[in-house]
Amino acid sequence: MLTDRPTTATDAIEALLADSALQPLVAAHRVLEPRPPRHAPWPDGLDPRLMDALRSRGVEALYTHQAQALEAIRARRNVCVVTPTASGKTLCYNLPVLDAVARDPAARALYLFPTKALAADQLVELRALAEAAELDLKTHTYDGDTPPNVRSVVRAAGQVVITNPDMLHAAILPHHTKWFKLFENLQFVVIDELHTYRGLFGSHVANVIRRLRRITNHYGADPIFICASATIANPRDLAERILEAPVELVDDNGAPSGRRHILVINPPVANEQLGIRGSALLTGQRVAERLISGGVQTIAFAKSRTSVEVLTTYLRETFAPPPGHPHTIRGYRGGYLPNERKEIERGLRDGRVRGVVATNALELGIDIGGLDAAISIGYPGTIASTWQQMGRAGRRTSTSLSALICSSAPIDQFLAAHPEYLFDTSPEHGLINPDNLHVLLNHLRASSFELPVPAAERFGIDETPSLLDVLEEDGYLRRADDDRYYWSHENFPASSFSLRSGAPENVVIVDTTGDRNRVLGEVDLFAAPLLVHEKAIYIHEGVQYHVDRLDWDERKAFVTRTDVDYYTDADLGITLKVLEVFEEADRLPAGLRQRGEVMVAWKVTMFKKIKYHTHENVGWGSIAIPEQEMHTTACWLVLPAEVVNRYDRDTLDGALIGLSRVARTTGSLLLMCDPRDLGVLAQVQAPFTGRPTLYLYDAVPGGVGLTERLFTLTDQLIRACREAVDSCPCTDGCPACVGPAIEVGPRGKATVSELLAALS
Amino acid sequence: MRTLADRLAEMRAQRGGLVPPRHAPAAGNRAEGLARWFAARLQVAPDGAAVVVERRVALPPSTVASLADLAPACYFDTETTGLSTGAGTVVFLAGLGHLDGDQLVVRQLLLPDYPHEAALLRLAAGELAAMPRVVTYNGRGFDLPLLITRLTVHRLFREMASLPEVHDDLLPVARRLYRRPLGGARLADVEFGVLGVIRNSDCPGSEVPSRYFGYLRGGSPDLLTDVLDHNLQDIVSLALLEAEIVRMRAGGWRDAPVLDRHGMAVELLRHGASEEALQVAEAAMLPGVDQDRAHSLRRMAARLLLGAGQVERAEELWTAATRRASTDAAAAWLEVARIRERHRGDLRGALEAAATASRVLDLAFALGRGGGILELGRIRLRVEARLRRLRRWVAAAERRTARAQRVA
Repeated sequence: MLTDRPTTATDAIEALLADSALQPLVAAHRVLEPRPPRHAPWPDGLDPRLMDALRSRGVEALYTHQAQALEAIRARRNVCVVTPTASGKTLCYNLPVLDAVARDPAARALYLFPTKALAADQLVELRALAEAAELDLKTHTYDGDTPPNVRSVVRAAGQVVITNPDMLHAAILPHHTKWFKLFENLQFVVIDELHTYRGLFGSHVANVIRRLRRITNHYGADPIFICASATIANPRDLAERILEAPVELVDDNGAPSGRRHILVINPPVANEQLGIRGSALLTGQRVAERLISGGVQTIAFAKSRTSVEVLTTYLRETFAPPPGHPHTIRGYRGGYLPNERKEIERGLRDGRVRGVVATNALELGIDIGGLDAAISIGYPGTIASTWQQMGRAGRRTSTSLSALICSSAPIDQFLAAHPEYLFDTSPEHGLINPDNLHVLLNHLRASSFELPVPAAERFGIDETPSLLDVLEEDGYLRRADDDRYYWSHENFPASSFSLRSGAPENVVIVDTTGDRNRVLGEVDLFAAPLLVHEKAIYIHEGVQYHVDRLDWDERKAFVTRTDVDYYTDADLGITLKVLEVFEEADRLPAGLRQRGEVMVAWKVTMFKKIKYHTHENVGWGSIAIPEQEMHTTACWLVLPAEVVNRYDRDTLDGALIGLSRVARTTGSLLLMCDPRDLGVLAQVQAPFTGRPTLYLYDAVPGGVGLTERLFTLTDQLIRACREAVDSCPCTDGCPACVGPAIEVGPRGKATVSELLAALS
Repeated sequence: MRTLADRLAEMRAQRGGLVPPRHAPAAGNRAEGLARWFAARLQVAPDGAAVVVERRVALPPSTVASLADLAPACYFDTETTGLSTGAGTVVFLAGLGHLDGDQLVVRQLLLPDYPHEAALLRLAAGELAAMPRVVTYNGRGFDLPLLITRLTVHRLFREMASLPEVHDDLLPVARRLYRRPLGGARLADVEFGVLGVIRNSDCPGSEVPSRYFGYLRGGSPDLLTDVLDHNLQDIVSLALLEAEIVRMRAGGWRDAPVLDRHGMAVELLRHGASEEALQVAEAAMLPGVDQDRAHSLRRMAARLLLGAGQVERAEELWTAATRRASTDAAAAWLEVARIRERHRGDLRGALEAAATASRVLDLAFALGRGGGILELGRIRLRVEARLRRLRRWVAAAERRTARAQRVA
């Protein structure tokens, strides 16, 4: 056993697990056995100052994965390091970079982080290591927070420039001449938190890397790329798609770990009919209290800022310190000041803070070391973030515990019923589509501004010449007699688009009731027309608000408190037009399956006022929000005529709603993506197929490859949907499967089950 | 399966308006054709060719005389394909002027097409390197950084190193001298308001890039005629403006109809002519000058006087500004206090002045004169701080005196 430190934490965790009150709530319990450390000798020729610095910080030897990464980098191979939190991942890149700079002060490295906060953290860590090694390292962050007078110094003399992909795109690459010292001597590009570069954002980042390569080629540099990622299913594949070069995977973790308990906890049923369960927050609070009172240092993740504050308050009441002593329970979320966050992080590391309640602000690699227990209250949306949060618990020697507390949301309930999706399927695939035409054309424009493009050059795809011709026709480029395409437009192309613009923006809800406006919350762009159209009654924590004004362009809804006896219900009309069929498979008798390009348009045109209790319609109004539309990719299932003919229209209507709901939940689990990234639409009489059809589409313009993959998984999708519906203990439908009977009709659940059987 | 070409065609159709590509004629013809059109020389180098349009403009004798004492300069202005200084903005016309007797010789290097750029850049850098000094209008912010960007793109580092070290950008000077009276300090403002230059058939600067793109896409070289004239006028105006600035510094400010006296004083100070600056400042403090400016001029003048050891005159300057109870008067009393304390060693006198400042401030407040509540508060804090300090020091000095007397 590795428990050379028999802690009270270990005992407290064992005691909790043995508690009979907890047992009925445990939907799943897995134990990961402890692992001893595996070390590797110091590599030859490492700068002795660096070795001394590491020894002085308690690093006596490298872990095997660190040594493997170092060796690959020295052999000039790109690497992608995938090891858990607190396994010494950052050393995998800081060590080779500092070693190179120690040897040759002209050497340069570029670090990319997805957020400014992570960049700032890394700056501190890198400087500390350089100082310990007595290296005079010139490094700074370069982002919106960098003072102007520092900027020119960073450009000319920064040996390690720490920035984000957005800055690289908009400020560095288009001004590459001001950075030629960096690009001429660029030896390393570090891309940390690689798993965040998925979907549309990842597709953009892959194109930024294409542009970066054109610049480094121009200046004669050939940098090594060092990526680090949290656990995803296909880290190497994602890295290779982003870098478009071979990448060596380093995932054989040599860091030690103690025993880990992983639990899925489902709160008790509160309302059988509606399938509503007890509050995940309160269950989480009870578990956290048990752990903290047993001396277990615990982090709890809540999904919203409000729930963070609520839980923090509850726990502080329980663990009130003696007068004059600081609280041992802290909240931690976006909106806290950097100093406050730093202080909390320090408190966690040195043990003064016993419990912390956080939003996913802490999910991305902020360095707080490992804790004894991590509790996720509500499924964070993706399996990767669930493991990221759970990974916050994990000691090198003693026992730790991670728990997911399920809420009443369908996907949470699905996971409670089918925890194998959490444990046994690999975590999400990082899917990107760098060749998404919209994305590609934008970056090709930006890149041709940076350097003219020879007609023979390929930017990502073989059809580059056609794209260049399109840009020439549009008046952006001009092909000169040297067969190169030159930027020939007055505008500055990199400022015309953002890497994250396609990411679902949120509409902010502003409460104007008091004398000062305050932000009440946010709704995503797709839900906003339904929930916060003008004259809507928006309900937030049980309080009614009247939406006075919706500023669609500014993405703001202004509301005031009200008290009325009705609620509003808006009609969302989604239309989907198939533009092109790419692929199809006719599986008689299970029906036709197709995949292709579609245009999805959605519009909210009117709303009804519905009286509480009686559900009378007491009025209506029109909604003036412009129709939104996008081109994307989709796959769809056509239900066989002989199956659907058995049902009347109403039954079929309800069943299709149920079918689309369960397909979205299970589909997003199969794809390991956020359910919001996968759109669904069921049409009883689809214009394109003429028959009842279930469409699943990428909820991102141009698509990122989700439905392309789902098309190949259709059989699995149908099987998983059947399992979800048939194994659900409810009688007529509940949030965990097809949705409550009130929405899908009295025969809804049974019909969905029959339809799925027919489709199999 | 739909091909990419189909999808692109569809995208184009959705965007509407299909512009057929117009391919330009071949390079050799293009450069020669351009040179022929402007009856200019074609300078051919291994890596390209530039059209060199050379023109001579006679300058007024007064201008020639004013410039005679300055180090020889290259008057430099560029026309570009955009306003950003990013790596994709190209200099397609570099205008370089220098003095030859009573004439300004202007050579305009015109780019026949992008592939010739390296040749044009080397020519332009060569012309600049031949002079010890370069004169521009906003060259610090635009023309020179852009030239350096282009040289970097083509990796012409030797040419970059040969650029003159002295760079006189006239924009900041023009801002000081003319922005207030003219309501702006674009070169066109200064030309119209000061130099008496009137542009006729000129093309506005905002149109310049599209003219060049139009020419590149197969349009007539005539599209560029106005651009060349525009650039020529810019360079002539640069020389005229520099001569005018020299004349102003040499005392011309006394009878200049359009001039910001305050800015002129600053300009003279920056040039190390403090006695002249003082004269401008004193002459400028006429009744009717707005209070902010008067205060700032007075501060400058007082600083100059104190620097020259003329403490009495400096104090008079401030006492002259204390006649009417206002926040400005209080501020002036505060300055008097500062001069008495620091430069005369007269603590009691300083205390008296600071106490007066405090009374004046009360009165100004009661009369509702001068400044908003914030300004009143700010100056109140300063007055009270100085008053407290002076009281402490005076008391300490008195104790010391008393002790000394006892000992005696």
